[in-house]
Amino acid sequence: MDTYALLQITWWLLLGVLLIGLAVMVGMDMGVGTILRYVGRTDLERRVALNIIGPHWEGNQVWFVLGGGAVFAAFPLIYATAFSGFYVVMMLLLWSMIMRPLGFEYRSKLPSEAWRNTWDWALLVSGLVPMVVFGAAFGNLFHGAPFHFSWNLTSTYTGSFLGLLNPFAILCGLLSAALSVFMGAVTVMNGAEGVIHARARTLARVSSVLAIVLFAIGGFWVRGMQGFVLTSSPAAGIAQTPLQQNVSLVDGAWFANFQAHPVLWLVPALGFAGMLLGLLAAGARRSHLAWWLGAVAWLGVIGTAGTALFPFLLPSSSMPAQSLTVWNSSSSQLTLTWMVGFAAVFVPLVVWYTSWAFYVMRGKVKAEHVSADEHAY
Amino acid sequence: MHDINVVDLSRLQFALTALYHFLFVPLTLGLSFLLAAMETVYVTTGKPIYREITQFWSKLFLINFALGVATGLTMEFEFGTNWSFYSSFVGDIFGAPLAIEGLMAFFLEATFIGLMVFGWKRLKRGQHLAVTYMVAFGSNLSALWILIANSFMQTPTGASFNPVTMRMELSSLTELIFNHDAQAKFVHTSIAGYVTGAIFVAGVSAWYLLKRRHVELARRSFRMAVLFGVLATAGVITLGDALGFIGGQAQPTKLAAMEGLWKSEPAPMPFNLVAFPSQKDQVNRGQLQVPYALSLLVTHSMDGTVPGVDRLELDAIARIRNGIPAVAALQSLSAAPGDAAALATFHAHEKDLGYGFLVQRYAADVTQATDAQIATAARETIPQVAPIFWSFRVMVLMGLLMLAYFVLAVIYSMRNNIEHQRWFLKIAVWMIPVPFLACEMGWLVAELGRQPWTVYGMLPTWMSASTHGVGYMIFSLVGFVGLYTAFIIAEMYLMVRAIRIGPDASHAGEGAGPITDTSQAARLAGYAQEA
Amino acid sequence: MKTFLQFILFMVIAVVVILMAIVLGELGAWYFAWLVGTGMIVLITAAGGALLDAQDEHAAHEAGIGSVDA
Repeated sequence: MDTYALLQITWWLLLGVLLIGLAVMVGMDMGVGTILRYVGRTDLERRVALNIIGPHWEGNQVWFVLGGGAVFAAFPLIYATAFSGFYVVMMLLLWSMIMRPLGFEYRSKLPSEAWRNTWDWALLVSGLVPMVVFGAAFGNLFHGAPFHFSWNLTSTYTGSFLGLLNPFAILCGLLSAALSVFMGAVTVMNGAEGVIHARARTLARVSSVLAIVLFAIGGFWVRGMQGFVLTSSPAAGIAQTPLQQNVSLVDGAWFANFQAHPVLWLVPALGFAGMLLGLLAAGARRSHLAWWLGAVAWLGVIGTAGTALFPFLLPSSSMPAQSLTVWNSSSSQLTLTWMVGFAAVFVPLVVWYTSWAFYVMRGKVKAEHVSADEHAY
Repeated sequence: MHDINVVDLSRLQFALTALYHFLFVPLTLGLSFLLAAMETVYVTTGKPIYREITQFWSKLFLINFALGVATGLTMEFEFGTNWSFYSSFVGDIFGAPLAIEGLMAFFLEATFIGLMVFGWKRLKRGQHLAVTYMVAFGSNLSALWILIANSFMQTPTGASFNPVTMRMELSSLTELIFNHDAQAKFVHTSIAGYVTGAIFVAGVSAWYLLKRRHVELARRSFRMAVLFGVLATAGVITLGDALGFIGGQAQPTKLAAMEGLWKSEPAPMPFNLVAFPSQKDQVNRGQLQVPYALSLLVTHSMDGTVPGVDRLELDAIARIRNGIPAVAALQSLSAAPGDAAALATFHAHEKDLGYGFLVQRYAADVTQATDAQIATAARETIPQVAPIFWSFRVMVLMGLLMLAYFVLAVIYSMRNNIEHQRWFLKIAVWMIPVPFLACEMGWLVAELGRQPWTVYGMLPTWMSASTHGVGYMIFSLVGFVGLYTAFIIAEMYLMVRAIRIGPDASHAGEGAGPITDTSQAARLAGYAQEA
Repeated sequence: MKTFLQFILFMVIAVVVILMAIVLGELGAWYFAWLVGTGMIVLITAAGGALLDAQDEHAAHEAGIGSVDA
């Protein structure tokens, strides 16, 4: 296999890593936002829950920024086509996301109950909506999106906003939200005590059961779906555009990669194992372990979707021949090489200092500290 | 095909969201290093008042920072949502600095800001100071990568067009990073942020001094801010000159617009101090000139000249004619990638491809473009002169005003009697909006002056936008205006409230009354014991 | 031994910094100027704060002497 194809696969894997990082790190904060009003019944209880992620949400959110930046840099055609095509959804996602920094930073700055309540709802919206959209976006990849290109690769999207809310996409959205709630709940368990801890534990158990069920239904659903198959295209690793290939739709084709390489069944198995063991660990109050198992579950779920779709990244439902794949939508060899270099240096560095930040802020968040600390959220 | 209304609405939306984002960025860039300086004094002298100073300003820093982060997310989305063709056309180059920004800078800034806020009790003094420096470096490194990306739009270097993939591709990352425009623009913008931070701190401190509240905190903050500010302002002006010099050569149409230069003139050229440019007739209606000054300013010599609009339009017509075969050849190549004759034609005319695209707005089949259409496209290469001319002058005037202000402020502060210069303190409070306005003007000059291109000379703005309907644009514009208005009201309210309450921690949760000098004295006594 | 190791460490850092400065000065003079200039601005600012304390102490000292004289 030549260097360019290898780089493209490396970036496909790195994109997976970044999306998993996004789902785990941002998903946990969003989960806390989603369940804030349930785990915290009084203002003080809610502040405890908020301050558990208080020192970290800002850093975690960068995984989201980086996810977007990495798609832009490594697969510009995906970034251009998906972000413009899903315009309304992207705006809703964006608007709900930009409420979050303010929700954290501004909520507890005023004593007014109405003010704080408003921001609590804002945090709920900005926790739930993005995670549902995140999952639903993955769901839509399986159906493909209605777009096509002109001679110079100007993309035109011909679908509607409601078309994106199809049943399978909603199922994926719910799965994503369930995993995010699970991660949020075990994070609250990590940092809280007493009644907050108990409520979070209940939610962790409910959401993990829900995730298992949804993931299983999703698997059967995809089996009956039409998948995309590349019938002819320039070879992998040759610079190309989406105007030069043929694609056909085949029943059950999204399972082809698993059938060709049975070892890949380990990926969805990892997803189920993470959720199931996560359920048990949360039940046994081993919340740190449950957090890591939740991360494994995300790895399994996102890995399963990526494996099923490979080499497709964004199939076109209206003009399947112009579907976007790893081979026809990536950046040039030079850009991918540089970006691998930067990722190799900086991702470990980021993981290292993020771990240090978590280490510094380790331990339980106590109600009396929250009310005494003027810096607390 | 593109709806020109959508292109204009997309420009409006991008400009509004970028200008809004840029209200918060400069303060972050400058205040972060000022915080680092304040905490440096705390750590080296051990005087607790400097901890209080650092903590107080970091509270205001965070209120501003939250909105900066939130509105920054919008910018990252908008390239894809609204400038889809732009994103695929130059994503190979433009995406890289954005991704590196996240990886290298934003992670640093965002991870350590959590520790900066929550880590006071958990970190050793030295560690916390290091964390504060990391936040400052992180936020400025962010600006570095964003401006490297922006400079590619202004003066594209390190890239070439690949007819196989139908897009621009990176040819040299070092050329991209060390682009002269990027260098000057980063330093100019970063230091403009320092000036903003300095004026903000000095202004709020002056207000306390006028009210005779938190005098010890305010005197020290004022002193540090004005020293920071005077050096930074000198730097901004130096770099502004460098940027004009570099940009003037690379973007002659922007320079002509900034200077209201309709007719090419022999050296030494006069400088239009005041003029009322008319785009339609291509003349200035009434002007006040300084002889020789323009040659000196933009070429740093008495016998240098720069082309006026008349010559630039003629150049553009020639380049459009040369670019038309490039577009036609590219169209053939798209249909038949192996066409060797088309490839040869393309390479012969490649350098003016972007100019060929310009005329495609008026003639879908470029080979059929009439002379009138070519002339229209050529006239379009001149950006809107009046707003650029005036934004530039307002920015420069404010820069000079701030320099004068800081020089006087340093004199008073070093004599250590600033508390008694009440007229000057009042001016200091009123100076707070000035740097924000100057920064916005700078953005307008840079980005309006780039028109009609998104990538100068390579990709016209009209092609860059997404192919949306007007309905989508109205939907998103209404959403942004509504949300952003609510946000700025909340931000201003919290900022003013935090300033009114002041550094007194025990009053943070309630509406604090005025704090008397007695309590100030009591607290200072407390510091003495603690120390 | 400890001093020697520290000496070696700091010498290595110094050499690395000098090499980086040479490269950066060659490729990106303005970037280099920013790095040095920012360091300078921050340090002068910090010194200005410390100087104010020194001025205050000096003034208090003078006032103290003055009151004794009176």
